[in-house]
Amino acid sequence: MSIDYAGFRRELESFVRSACPPEIRAVVAAGQKITKREYQAWQQILNARGWGAPSWPREAGGTGWDIRQRLIFEEVMAENDCPPLYHHGLGHIGPVIIHFGTPEQKARFLPRILDGSDWWCQGYSEPGSGSDLASLSTTARLDGDEWIVNGQKIWTSHAHEASMIYMLVRTSKEAKKQEGISLLLVPMDTPGITVRPIKTIDGWHHLNEVFFDEVRVRADNLVGEVGKGWTCAKFLLERERLPPANVARLELMRRQVTQLVEEASRATAGLRDFSGLHHKLLLCEADVKGARVMMAQATDDLIHQRPLGVQPSVIKMTCADVAQRLTTIALDAVGPEAAHRFLAEVGDDVPDATWIQNYMFTRARTIAGGTSEVQRNVVANELLGA
Amino acid sequence: MSTSFPSLFPGMLLDAASRYAEDHIAVEIQGDPVRELGWTATLVPEEAGGVGGSLSDLASIVEGLATHGLQLPVVETCAVVPLLLQAAGAETARRWLEAVAEGSVQMAPLTALSATPDVNAVTARHLDIGYELNGAVHGVDATLPATHYLVPAQVDGEDAIFLVDADRVGGPRARYRTMEGRLGADFVLAQLAVPESACIARGAAARDARGKATDAALLLTAADTVAALATLIRQSVTHLKERRQFGVALSSFQVLRHRVADMYVKYLGAKGLVIHCFNAHEQGAPDLRRTLRLAKVSLAESARACAEAAIQMHGGMGVSEEVLATRMAQRLIASEFRYGDRLLHVARLLAPEACAPQVSLSNQTGSVR
Repeated sequence: MSIDYAGFRRELESFVRSACPPEIRAVVAAGQKITKREYQAWQQILNARGWGAPSWPREAGGTGWDIRQRLIFEEVMAENDCPPLYHHGLGHIGPVIIHFGTPEQKARFLPRILDGSDWWCQGYSEPGSGSDLASLSTTARLDGDEWIVNGQKIWTSHAHEASMIYMLVRTSKEAKKQEGISLLLVPMDTPGITVRPIKTIDGWHHLNEVFFDEVRVRADNLVGEVGKGWTCAKFLLERERLPPANVARLELMRRQVTQLVEEASRATAGLRDFSGLHHKLLLCEADVKGARVMMAQATDDLIHQRPLGVQPSVIKMTCADVAQRLTTIALDAVGPEAAHRFLAEVGDDVPDATWIQNYMFTRARTIAGGTSEVQRNVVANELLGA
Repeated sequence: MSTSFPSLFPGMLLDAASRYAEDHIAVEIQGDPVRELGWTATLVPEEAGGVGGSLSDLASIVEGLATHGLQLPVVETCAVVPLLLQAAGAETARRWLEAVAEGSVQMAPLTALSATPDVNAVTARHLDIGYELNGAVHGVDATLPATHYLVPAQVDGEDAIFLVDADRVGGPRARYRTMEGRLGADFVLAQLAVPESACIARGAAARDARGKATDAALLLTAADTVAALATLIRQSVTHLKERRQFGVALSSFQVLRHRVADMYVKYLGAKGLVIHCFNAHEQGAPDLRRTLRLAKVSLAESARACAEAAIQMHGGMGVSEEVLATRMAQRLIASEFRYGDRLLHVARLLAPEACAPQVSLSNQTGSVR
């Protein structure tokens, strides 16, 4: 049976336009920080409609949509200022549990991701293990039917508002550092876990350090085989670098920044020269169009089960680069008005200042999920050999 | 590595053009290969004795030639010429298209390589009998001999197209080698008298055909750039692997590895953008011209950066024209200035009227119908 994609798009459009609350859309439209409140409310609305997990197979509670439908879904969401889906649960650990988890783990964790009652965060990076993730040293040792975790994770987004963490731990010391790593699911309210906020350059609070001191975890919270967690981690990273949402969101950001530049240019007409910013916006517009085709081609390769090669790395680098250039344009547009109003002491933040925060926030785009330098290594290895 | 650079327009046409270019890159162009190989028939409809092919077919030929760095005026003789001819009345158009397809005439546009065919460099004045043409056209491609010129011109404030015997136009004022190794020539038309019948189209028909020729020239030049980028990066990769300094291959230096990776990212982005442009053309997108201008500006940025990086990574060899990567760099930079440079296209993109989408009348495949 062939799918009526145009009809599918219309169905999505009419739903999101009536179902996404205006106050949530206003937050997204203004480019403000999206918090658990908006994510969760929207997740519950989508889930009630049966669209809680666009990327999951039907038997796991997902929509069973094909990849083209998922792309359309992401575009419609972005075009209509809806929040993106919360990636840690739906995009990252969910698929890992579906792929590697036991039936019991699927029954225990998946429904709570779908209805938004569990909020996940990712325990990967450690103070001594950033790009070199496999050198991680947080340990878990088996004691009866429990793992006992000791160590520290860092740069953990959402840890302060999460109910669960999926984390990589070392369960044995092997010659090869990728071996002996396991993937463990840990409730954040377990005794021995301490979360300390990290104040970031954007003025927001999303990053944390998480400390584990003799934390006891059920043995059956380990996903896949003991010592084979690196396989799950790689499975997850591949998906992290190729989310259809990235490109769709770029176009939304481009529209927002274009509007911002036009407003700023009207407000300070004659005093400041905006031609350079307009020129840069054109280049971003062209790059988004190119990225969209790259994404469509990678999508097509996924559909036909062809190897993706370096495409995820190239797309990630491109999206990160364009996002940074766009927020840099925004910074230049609103800087004089907003730089001294970065954070309001009382009351609401200054709307324009959001874009300075966004500028700071997008610095992380070339760092998180594999730095652009690591991605360049991946591409160079393909072209020049390791 | 070959899988890292898949062809844009694969098929028999690409293979043939690629083979021809490979065999002839080291020798001076003899005769008129574009006609001898029948490429001028590509866009000509079947009923006029042509192939009835699409712009993507022609792009295969452009890609094949660009991949090996061969310079032939395919865009001018195989796209601009038949697309301009279609503006003429049915009988005139069919007769000349037939001649173009079978190669019995050598027709070329009398337009500057740096300008789009919708620009008027020549003014025509209607006399009692016939017309008088005036104007200077600098930097016309003169790689191949011509028996006839198609001259876009303005007459009484209207767009028009003239078809003039090359003998009547006379020789150029000056000849040059262009930076990418083509032959260029400056022509001056001073009170050039042409018969009434030389004006083959006026008004909307002429304007529309010149618009289509402009779109085609921009599209094909973009395809040329992506093909040249692929070869440029391939050559740079080979050089880095083979060239040894300090006792090791250059490819072991991370700073060079990352530079190549950045070039590759730009190449894939450029390729995606060009595919987007061909899709927009095929679908008759109302904002096609805007998209093509965007591509022009963006490709110029990527091509310049990659060209400069390749020259730098080749060291002393990078400044020698004997090196293919260097000739590719020249080709890439020269292409920036073909059919309007980035400054011109930016100006048009940022002009207030550019916001309104244009109505495009181009057909689905881009062939002349």
